[in-house]
Amino acid sequence: MHIHELNPKKTIITLTIFVVVIVVGLLTISNPRLKYELTPEEIVELVVWEDGFVFPYELEDVIVGSVDTVVLIDIRNTFDYSRGHIPGAENISAVELLNKDNIKRLKKLQKGGICVLIYGDTQLQANGPWMVFRQLGFSNVKALMGGYQYYALWKDNLGDSYADDGYLLGTADFDYADIAENARIVEDENESNKQTLKVQRRKKTTVVEGGC
Amino acid sequence: MGPLIPLGQIASGWDFIIALLIGIAFGFILEASGFSSSRNITGSFYGYNFVVLRVFFTAVIVSMIGLEYFDYMGWIDLNLIYILPTYLSPMIVGAVIMGVGFILGGFCPGTSYTAIAIGKLDAIVFTIGLFIGIFIFSEVFPLIEGFYYSDNLGNITIGEMLGISNRLFTFIMVVIAIVAFYLTWLIEKKVRKTITPYKFE
Amino acid sequence: MNKNYIILFGILVVLSGGLLFLPEKNNYVEESPENLMWDIAQPTRYISTDQVAKMIIEKDPLFQLVDVRLDYDFEAFTLPKAYNIPIDSIITADASDILDIDDINTIFFSDDDIKADQAWVIAKRMGYKNVYVMKGGLNCWIRTIIQPEAPPETAPITEFELYDFRKGASSYFTGAEISIDSDIKKSVNIKRRKKENVAEGGC
Repeated sequence: MHIHELNPKKTIITLTIFVVVIVVGLLTISNPRLKYELTPEEIVELVVWEDGFVFPYELEDVIVGSVDTVVLIDIRNTFDYSRGHIPGAENISAVELLNKDNIKRLKKLQKGGICVLIYGDTQLQANGPWMVFRQLGFSNVKALMGGYQYYALWKDNLGDSYADDGYLLGTADFDYADIAENARIVEDENESNKQTLKVQRRKKTTVVEGGC
Repeated sequence: MGPLIPLGQIASGWDFIIALLIGIAFGFILEASGFSSSRNITGSFYGYNFVVLRVFFTAVIVSMIGLEYFDYMGWIDLNLIYILPTYLSPMIVGAVIMGVGFILGGFCPGTSYTAIAIGKLDAIVFTIGLFIGIFIFSEVFPLIEGFYYSDNLGNITIGEMLGISNRLFTFIMVVIAIVAFYLTWLIEKKVRKTITPYKFE
Repeated sequence: MNKNYIILFGILVVLSGGLLFLPEKNNYVEESPENLMWDIAQPTRYISTDQVAKMIIEKDPLFQLVDVRLDYDFEAFTLPKAYNIPIDSIITADASDILDIDDINTIFFSDDDIKADQAWVIAKRMGYKNVYVMKGGLNCWIRTIIQPEAPPETAPITEFELYDFRKGASSYFTGAEISIDSDIKKSVNIKRRKKENVAEGGC
C-alpha cells in the first residue's frame, strides 16, 4: 500500500506544511536589538583614519562651559570615579551604556547633534567601547585622548597641554631596527637611545562638536 | 541553533537515541513508499516503475531546499555539518557493485530489512548474503586498502567542486529532478501499456 | 500528467528559485555587540611582554605573533616569527588563514597597544577566538625586554628575579654577550588550553 493512498491529500498537506515553515521562518528571522551599522571594511577605514578622538586641550572649553554640546561619560568603575573625575562627567560603564535606556538616550543625543565624549583611565580603555559605538552607528561618540590619567596630570593648565604630545599613541618611541643592531644592555642610559619624536600634529579643531 | 550536538545543545550521548528515532522514521517511510517490494525497486531498471527515483529525488530536493533556508534563517549552520570525504573512483566502483546487487537481489540493504519486517523470505536470504559479503570484504580489506582510499577529493560539496554556490546548485538540482520526473513518466507510459496514473485531489 | 503535480513542481521551483535571491550570508559568525562589549570590558586579552618573551624562548607551539603595523615598519624590525597583517588587511581571506586556527593563540602587537587593540576589536567582532593583545606593544618590549631597567635596591626579590629574566631574554633576543651572574631559574607555567572537541559527526 502506498502511503498517500491512506489519505489522498497527504502530499499537498506535507508540502503546505513545508512551505508554511519556511515562510514563518523567514518572517520571524530574529532581529537583534543592536545591529552593526558599519561593515568590518568601514570600521577598518575608520581606525586607519581615526577621526573620533578628542584632544585633551579641547576639554577646557567643555569644563568651563563655553561649549554645551558635549556630554562627558566616565566608563571607569565607580570606585575610580569617586576618587576623582572630570567635572560634569557621568559614571556609566561601557556595558551599561548598551542598555535599552542608554541607547535610547544616545540616539536622542545624536539627533540633537550632541557629542558624547567617553573616557577611561587611559585612551586604551575607551578605545574598545568607542569602536563598538562607532560600529553601531553612533558617529557622535568620541573618545578622549590620553584618558583620565593624562587629564589628572594637566588638570590645572589643560590649555597648555596643546604644546605637549605625551598623550599621542600609536607611534614608535624607538628606532627598533637600530636598537636591534647595536644591541647592548644600557643600564643607566636608557634616555640616550630615545629618538626624537617626529609627530605629525593635526591642526587644532576649533570646537569639540566639530565632527558631530 | 543547530546542528544540535556539535553546538552542545544536546549532550553527545544522545546521538544513538536520535539515530534510533530517525531510523524508525526512515524504515516507516521506506515501507510506506512500497520499497519493500522487489518489483518496485527493480522497476526503475526495467523501466516500468520509477517510484524509487521519484521518492528519493523528492526527498533530496526537499531537504536541500529546507537546509538552505534553515541555514539562512540561522536555524542550522551548514558550515558545521560533517561532509563525507569523496573518494571518486572507489565510489564509482562501489556504486556499480551496488547497482548489480539491486537488480540481482531486488533489494538495497535498507529495504531488505523493511522487507523482513513484513515477513518476506527472500529478504531474509538477502540479508544473510549481506553479512557474508561484509565478512568477505573485511577479510580482503588489507588487499584493497590502497584503492579504497584512493582519489580522495576531500570533504567537498558538488557546488564547491563546480565553483558555483550551493544555492544555485540546489536550483539546478530541482530542475534536473523535474525533468527526470517527466522523462521517467514518459518511459513508464511506453513500457506499461495499461497505466492508471495515481490521482490525488 | 496530472495538473496537481505541475502545481507541486511549481512550488518547489519557486522555493528553490527564491534561494537565489536571498542575500549572501557572511562566512563568519559575528559576535553580537553586547558580547563584544563584555569582552572589551575584561582585561584578560592583555598579555605582558614578559609572557611573550617567555613563550618565544620556550618555543611554545601554541601561539603566534601578528604584527599589525605597516609592512615597511615590519620589514625594518619585528619580533621573531611574527606574521604581518597590517590593520587594514585584517578582514581579508589571507588574514583568516592565519587567524582562524583552532587552539593557536594569536597575539597582536604594534608600536604601542592602541592599534593592536583596534585590530583585536575587529578580529573579535568577526568571530575569531583566541586573540590577544601584547600590552604596551614594541615600545614596552624595548623598555622591558631589550633594555631592562634595574630595580631599586629596596625592591622585593621578585622584581630582581624578573630583572634577571629580562636580562637573559635581552641577550637571547639581541645575541649580545653579557655576563649573567645569577642563574636564571624560572619555572614557566604556560597554561595550555584544553583541546576543544572538534565538531565531527561522522555518519
